[in-house]
Amino acid sequence: MSFFGRTLGILRTGTQLFRRGPQRIPTRKASDGPHIEPLYRQYPQLTKKQKFDAEFLSGAMWFWILWHLWHDSDAVLGHFPWPDASEWTDAELGIPPDDEE
Amino acid sequence: MPTHTSSACVLFMLPEQPVNMAGVVFRRWARALSNGNRSGISAFLLGNRAASGMTKDSLPGSYPKTPEERAAAAKKYNIRVEDYEPYPDRGEGFGDYPKLPERSQSERDPWYQWDHPDLRRNWGEPMHWDFDAYIRNRVDTSPSPVSWSSMSKQLFGFIGFMLLMFYLGEKFPSYQPVAPKQYPYNDLYLERGGDPDKQPEEVKHYEI
Amino acid sequence: MPSLHIILTTSFIITLVILISPVFTSILYKSLNPNWHTHHIKTAVKMAFFTSLLPLFLHLHTGTELTITNLHWMNIMTFDINTSFKLDHLSITFVPIALYVTWAILEFASWYMKSDPNINQFFKFLLIFLIAMVTLVTANNMFQLFIGWEGVGIMSFLLIGWWWARADANTAALQAVLYNRVGDVGLIFALGWMATNLNSWEMQQMFITAKSLDMNAPLIGLILAATGKSAQFGLHPWLPSAMEGPTPVSALLHSSTMVVAGIFLLVRLSPLMQDNPFALTTCLILGALTTLFTTICALTQNDIKKIIAFSTSSQLGLMMVTIGLNQPYLAFLHICTHAFFKAMLFLCSGVIIHALNNEQDIRKMGGLHYLIPTTTSCLTIGSLALMGTPFLAGFFSKDAIIEALNNSYLNAWALALTLLATSLTAAYSLRMIFFVNMNFPRFPALSPINENIKSITNPLKRLAWGTILAGLLMTCAVLPPKPPMLSMPPYIKLTALVITILGLTIALELALFTNKQRPYMPKQYFYFSTMLGYYPTIMHRFFPYTFLKLSQTIATMTIDQTWLEKTGPKTITSLNLSLATTTSNIQKGMIKTFLSLFFTTLMIIILLNYY
Repeated sequence: MSFFGRTLGILRTGTQLFRRGPQRIPTRKASDGPHIEPLYRQYPQLTKKQKFDAEFLSGAMWFWILWHLWHDSDAVLGHFPWPDASEWTDAELGIPPDDEE
Repeated sequence: MPTHTSSACVLFMLPEQPVNMAGVVFRRWARALSNGNRSGISAFLLGNRAASGMTKDSLPGSYPKTPEERAAAAKKYNIRVEDYEPYPDRGEGFGDYPKLPERSQSERDPWYQWDHPDLRRNWGEPMHWDFDAYIRNRVDTSPSPVSWSSMSKQLFGFIGFMLLMFYLGEKFPSYQPVAPKQYPYNDLYLERGGDPDKQPEEVKHYEI
Repeated sequence: MPSLHIILTTSFIITLVILISPVFTSILYKSLNPNWHTHHIKTAVKMAFFTSLLPLFLHLHTGTELTITNLHWMNIMTFDINTSFKLDHLSITFVPIALYVTWAILEFASWYMKSDPNINQFFKFLLIFLIAMVTLVTANNMFQLFIGWEGVGIMSFLLIGWWWARADANTAALQAVLYNRVGDVGLIFALGWMATNLNSWEMQQMFITAKSLDMNAPLIGLILAATGKSAQFGLHPWLPSAMEGPTPVSALLHSSTMVVAGIFLLVRLSPLMQDNPFALTTCLILGALTTLFTTICALTQNDIKKIIAFSTSSQLGLMMVTIGLNQPYLAFLHICTHAFFKAMLFLCSGVIIHALNNEQDIRKMGGLHYLIPTTTSCLTIGSLALMGTPFLAGFFSKDAIIEALNNSYLNAWALALTLLATSLTAAYSLRMIFFVNMNFPRFPALSPINENIKSITNPLKRLAWGTILAGLLMTCAVLPPKPPMLSMPPYIKLTALVITILGLTIALELALFTNKQRPYMPKQYFYFSTMLGYYPTIMHRFFPYTFLKLSQTIATMTIDQTWLEKTGPKTITSLNLSLATTTSNIQKGMIKTFLSLFFTTLMIIILLNYY
């Protein structure tokens, strides 16, 4: 039945478009924002906002990474050094010296 | 309302054909079921006939024996005589239906202007006997760059190798011990089948 | 604190009501406004997101978790089925994330699907999907979970086949639904087993009763279910095929929410699994195999969506490995962080595909950095997060998973495969960036490129912020239920980073190498990767062919021939014929024959008398 529903939907939309006349034909341009003319063999123009957004996002990412690397580098390099038992002194372990009675 | 007229017709003819009673009952029942929905289900039900009711035209003819019959059959199915080859006559009901190559529709050129682009089929083109199995959603027979046996060998070889390695990995697991394992009672001397009469030397896990 | 519970419950129910309301109000209209989808559905999801933040903050602040049982649904003898919601850490965290991602995707879809005549219906489908997902996530009852499970399955089928006039999309939708049904067999089996042996579908009761039982059988069913839904090896081919659907669908269903349902099921039912080494090992092996296999497939794909799809599959494998390590909360963390960056990667690919006039082949892209800077920035951020770059979202889960792997007692081969797959993740992500963002354009000069639209950039930016910040926020806000390993040798701590860098380096080297190399005919082993390990080719040809052929022959010929011809008339004829010949051959009027017959009969009678 969904097939019928869809067909009906298409027909309905189609008739609506018909009634509204030619001024509202859906285009790829889709929605708001400046329309950018296609250029031949050149990069399309970018708006300042676009460039700023891109730089800002990447910059924020790098700032976030580097700032944390500077301040919390232990999350990457290890929180605590791996205990090396041979370096523990007797005093640390509370072991009395051998000559003590 | 075609269904109405047809059933009325049958009703009218009842005195002459009492055999049709069951058919009438069925039709009434079907109409009642579809609840007066004239276009949809009832039309479908009434239009649905058993395969035995197929006309002679829609059934394949008898198996062609002479070259003339072959040529006639080939013409009937829109094939050249050279390409026409019926199924072997083993009483399976193929008759003179042509045995077409087992090629799926997905193998066909997607850019050609087919009369029916969804099925990739031209009008009047002979259909494979199992056409429904070879539509684009089902079996795909398009050629692959690697042969079938090589494909199966590689895939099942890969899976087999992986399973073998998983088995080995299960035998030799990976872990990071901090220190060797320590157990009480002289590292479980008796529990590991040591000689109870002999006193083993004391195992110390510490050193001062 | 009862007032807390009331706030939690109420805000949760308000979230649900806000979500469901557009579905019902849409019935009231005769015809929907063309902008209904943005005005109603997107706004509803957005509102629901903000409402669902309240329970999240309450939960984070006080740690409140509760179960709402509000309706006695039905009972069969002593077996009760209730509607009950579980608002615990998992659901309270996942619902806002799912809503946030959906909000972004819906906004994006209002641009991407602009020219679709049924866009309102499309949005309604996405919304119904989301409701099913929320049902699944918040269910405290297996039956309710099953409803959500099937709901997302059906919506997935409908949405993959959205462009229903294309046979490829139909095939993909059918594949998805069939593979998922295989998984559902497992879930239904587990449900049946639980109903008979545990006598309850309420989770807390199941967890208590299951303690004393051998759980191997139902757990295998659950793992099968997760294999189907989360595209683990064996039932994985549907996920890359599902990329035939519209890109917003890929972003929402096939990367961030629906496919993690399988993993989520196992996380939710992890108390059943945690004492069962057999099930855990199965998960581990399955996950490791999946993550490597799909990574190998991702390495050589040229379709941008397929690359991201395979990377999703690979990450799902990694989550499965984590479940196999008995660290379900880490798997859940990875689900959450993965949702952000994977949805964003898909949105980026959607922008690129539309911008290049439906071109999906990365070999025909290049240099997009100059043309659509915001999108490519987001693509890079997403890929970096996917690789596990420190302090982006992926790092906090992925690094923890790999550390847990390194420190656990586990199958050595599974460890090796997972590490290899992690390394290759970096390789294919870099390959994608290399082909899409870098170098010079390789597409036709007159492509309609435009990303300067609010409904593209806003969702991308929101998800990018999520990708950057979410990992740290999530790990800081939530105390892990199992203490993570804090102390470990530096070489283990650095493994994750080192293998990722290794993968990056190899990929870079190879990419530079290809510029200098002469073109060559690929070796046969190369095909293993390009043809997805031959798995779809073999499975999708052998089984349908055999089954269709067999069933066709049996139904139309063999049955008739066997019963109506061979066993019926023909056998009877031949039997009768031979019997008749034998008997009539004997009757030749010879006295010897009659006498021997007479004696035989006599002997038989005597024998019968005595015995």
